[in-house]
Amino acid sequence: MNTVTDQSSATAVRPSTAARVGIGGPVGSGKTALLEQLIPRFAARGTNLAVITNDIATREDAERVRRSGLIAPERVLAVETGACPHSAIREDPTLNMESADALDRKFSGLELILIESGGDNLASSFSLDLVDYWLFVIDVAGGDDIPRKRGLGVLSCDLLVINKTDLAPYVRVDLPRMVREANEVRRGKSVLLTNCATGEGVDAIVETIAREVLFDR
Amino acid sequence: MSDLAQTLALLQFGDSFFPSGATSFSWGLETLRADGLVVRASDVEALIEGQIRHRWASFDRPALIASYRAAGDLDRIADVDREIDAATLAREARDGGRRIGSALLKVHAGMGTPGAADYRERVQRGDACGQMTAVHGLIGHATGLDETAVCALSAYGLAVGTIGAALRVGLLGHVEGQAILARMRAVVDEAVASPLPAVDACHAYTPMAEIAMMRHETGSGRMFAS
Repeated sequence: MNTVTDQSSATAVRPSTAARVGIGGPVGSGKTALLEQLIPRFAARGTNLAVITNDIATREDAERVRRSGLIAPERVLAVETGACPHSAIREDPTLNMESADALDRKFSGLELILIESGGDNLASSFSLDLVDYWLFVIDVAGGDDIPRKRGLGVLSCDLLVINKTDLAPYVRVDLPRMVREANEVRRGKSVLLTNCATGEGVDAIVETIAREVLFDR
Repeated sequence: MSDLAQTLALLQFGDSFFPSGATSFSWGLETLRADGLVVRASDVEALIEGQIRHRWASFDRPALIASYRAAGDLDRIADVDREIDAATLAREARDGGRRIGSALLKVHAGMGTPGAADYRERVQRGDACGQMTAVHGLIGHATGLDETAVCALSAYGLAVGTIGAALRVGLLGHVEGQAILARMRAVVDEAVASPLPAVDACHAYTPMAEIAMMRHETGSGRMFAS
């Protein structure tokens, strides 16, 4: 028998040089809005960037990013997930990986690929074969109990983003308590606050990704 | 390869847990459902049976076996690969076959399956299409499966992929899906026993599914890539 060897070839799995950063989180938490705020900031830093979106039922997110004028449309790919958004980033991320490889081949010098998951639940997480680093975006309107529910995404992401901070008084959310509980359950891993409608707080996310993923290249 | 080792390999490669990207494809089902042409479990069963009898048996199977019998000769596999690609009319079927083939090659290259990394390089250079069926033949031979097992994997993948898509869009329940899958064994058995056309004479006639895939290209609902 010609056996499948266990000699795992890192180069076969990841031939690329661009860092891959996942953005996950529940539906409506602001993942696409965050993308739209991140793209011009990375562009301003001179980061060679591309984007993959995993829309649930349409190509709406991909089209929204393509039409934003913030990035060349050919640098935005949409990957359909067959109604299984978390499979596409965890159990079977092969099509996302193939799309990322294709972007690497097409754009020489690519430094960063942002991979936006389809909206999912608190148990979603990214395969470490797919991404080097991942963000999980929740929002205050989802309720201030989200962090203390200890969802897998909230606990295991590299950076937890709490978005729509401006809405806290209107949805009766105790934001300081939400942040305190997020920090407690994450045991010191990063938590940042944003209002992606205005861009407030997004610079800190860019700085974090630049420092922890791009190594300020 | 012992019977047990082959069974274990089949369980691994046939499992929907094995990453191949197949979850993203409905092969026309999403559009057929939206158009009201597939509305109940019996419709799904008829669709799968039609695909096995009128496409898989006379189109995929000869190409699969030719790729398998090429015994790792990548030039011969690439020839079969081109035949499949050229003879697949619907763009989403052609592109889908390439995407799944590439995904499988990447996974198997990472696992160290002989020939997978080399063939993947050809695909990336544009010297081979990387169609799923050609890749199945390559991988099946490289991992020591026998020809019948490779056919079983390919046909099972078609059936389980369609049933999985049907389940997720609410066309059938999980028990109905398993019952259909069980009934498909006899259909696959007959298909495998049918005369084997040469690769250059392979043929398929599944117009409803092909038209659905063509219509899917511009459809508004896109949970699936086909």
